[in-house]
Amino acid sequence: MEEIEPSVPGNPIDSHNPLPKGKGDFDLWWGLVIGVIALIALLVILVPDPFSRAFNFIKDGIGISLFVTIISFVLVLVVGLIGGLGRIAKNPVIAGIATVYVEVIRGIPLLVQLMFWYFAFPSVIQGIGKAIGSSALENYIADPVVMATIGLTFCYGAYMSEVYRAGIQSIPKGQMEAARSLGMTYFQAMRYVIIPQAVRVILPPVGNEFISLLKDSSLVSVVAVGDITLRGRQFMALSFKPVETFIMVALLYLVLTLFSARMVTWIERITKLER
Amino acid sequence: MSEAIIQIKDVHKYFGHVHALKGVSLEIQKGEVVVIIGPSGSGKSTLLRCINRLEEFDKGSIVVDNIPLDSAKNINAVRTEVGMVFQQFNLFSHLTVLENITLAQKIIRKREKAQAEKVAMDLLDKVGIPDKAKAFPIQLSGGQQQRVAIARALAMNPKIMLFDEPTSALDPEMIQEVLDVMMNLAKEGMTMVVVSHEMGFTRAAANRAILMDGGQIIEEAPPNILFNNPTHERTKLFLSKVL
Repeated sequence: MEEIEPSVPGNPIDSHNPLPKGKGDFDLWWGLVIGVIALIALLVILVPDPFSRAFNFIKDGIGISLFVTIISFVLVLVVGLIGGLGRIAKNPVIAGIATVYVEVIRGIPLLVQLMFWYFAFPSVIQGIGKAIGSSALENYIADPVVMATIGLTFCYGAYMSEVYRAGIQSIPKGQMEAARSLGMTYFQAMRYVIIPQAVRVILPPVGNEFISLLKDSSLVSVVAVGDITLRGRQFMALSFKPVETFIMVALLYLVLTLFSARMVTWIERITKLER
Repeated sequence: MSEAIIQIKDVHKYFGHVHALKGVSLEIQKGEVVVIIGPSGSGKSTLLRCINRLEEFDKGSIVVDNIPLDSAKNINAVRTEVGMVFQQFNLFSHLTVLENITLAQKIIRKREKAQAEKVAMDLLDKVGIPDKAKAFPIQLSGGQQQRVAIARALAMNPKIMLFDEPTSALDPEMIQEVLDVMMNLAKEGMTMVVVSHEMGFTRAAANRAILMDGGQIIEEAPPNILFNNPTHERTKLFLSKVL
């Protein structure tokens, strides 16, 4: 996606930003992120049993949770763009396919979708392998992380399609007409004129989608992905300390989501352009 | 007379049940400046937008620079040769003035950045705002924005320029600066089709003035004849209201 750096001299700082701001444009809500990190550190240091043990056991899951979330999110951005363009396509077949995708996926719980990808989909592949006599397909075994990533991508891609669609439709019609009348094709106009403007509009909802995705990634623990939640459940089974375990799990998610929210705000601020 | 650069034959256009164009035929010669006037809803903007197929017509034929506007394939070829200026300017709001003028040059005309910027700066000189090259559209007045929009269209070296009510959204004191630019273009021999109610511009620059009403051409004549001695009652009625 082409992004043009806003280079207005003295680009005015957004006065409608509801966040409290200290001197030097420092976002005070960062304090909350630091506070939660400090709380984790304090628990680990002052009550090492079980918090230090819990942290050390669960921390392997942080990377997995982030990996699944970030890979899925990058794919979601692509799928959502294709889905969003499909939703507004003039061609009724393309628009129909995109609409069915969005409506069907949004109508099925994410947990059920994840289970489909991990448990049902491999059986389908194996069945096909049996039918066509392909031993490679017949012995197909699903990788939990891959299936979880596909599941999250398919589901969030549908929601993201609607975000893109709304963003693109919020750009005045005259922008497309001006681009087309200069001889650009529909896709050139989308790429160089419409989408760069739409991206600014959809940044806040896209940021929210990322944070939702991060939280919903905890569902992948059900399909054998060793994320924060699954590691937490395993530690609880070992330690018989559900309260401390899930306090630690909750705090870890909280750090990640609060940090993400700050990043979203920061990105919004630097890409803000007067219009 | 040479072959007309725009040939419109019996064009019909429907918006749902509304019959917006009812068999319009018009030929425009190379270098000619034609101004279309008429009440709102008369189909003048629709006709203009049909010439570069921002609106598709339902019946009839339009040939622009020997290219018939019938298949989807040739439409971008036509649009590259036909510049369009809109009532609402429609500058790309995320790009600077300079980027607005160079974008299509780079993509469509495949010009190098330096060459495209040279073309853009020359045109900004021509429309009188070279100092605004680095500004964003929102930082310009309406008149300045419209002059940038004209420069953006000219940067593609079009053979024809279409103007859709270019001064209707402007404050009165900014109208003249835009008309001056258009007047210079007309003097240079640009083929222009202008939807406008600027009678001064029409008298000074137009070879022909056309009155449209109810989706039809009512009368066409050189501006002085149309304004001073209209033959049709409808023309007299319209002129009595706007002159």
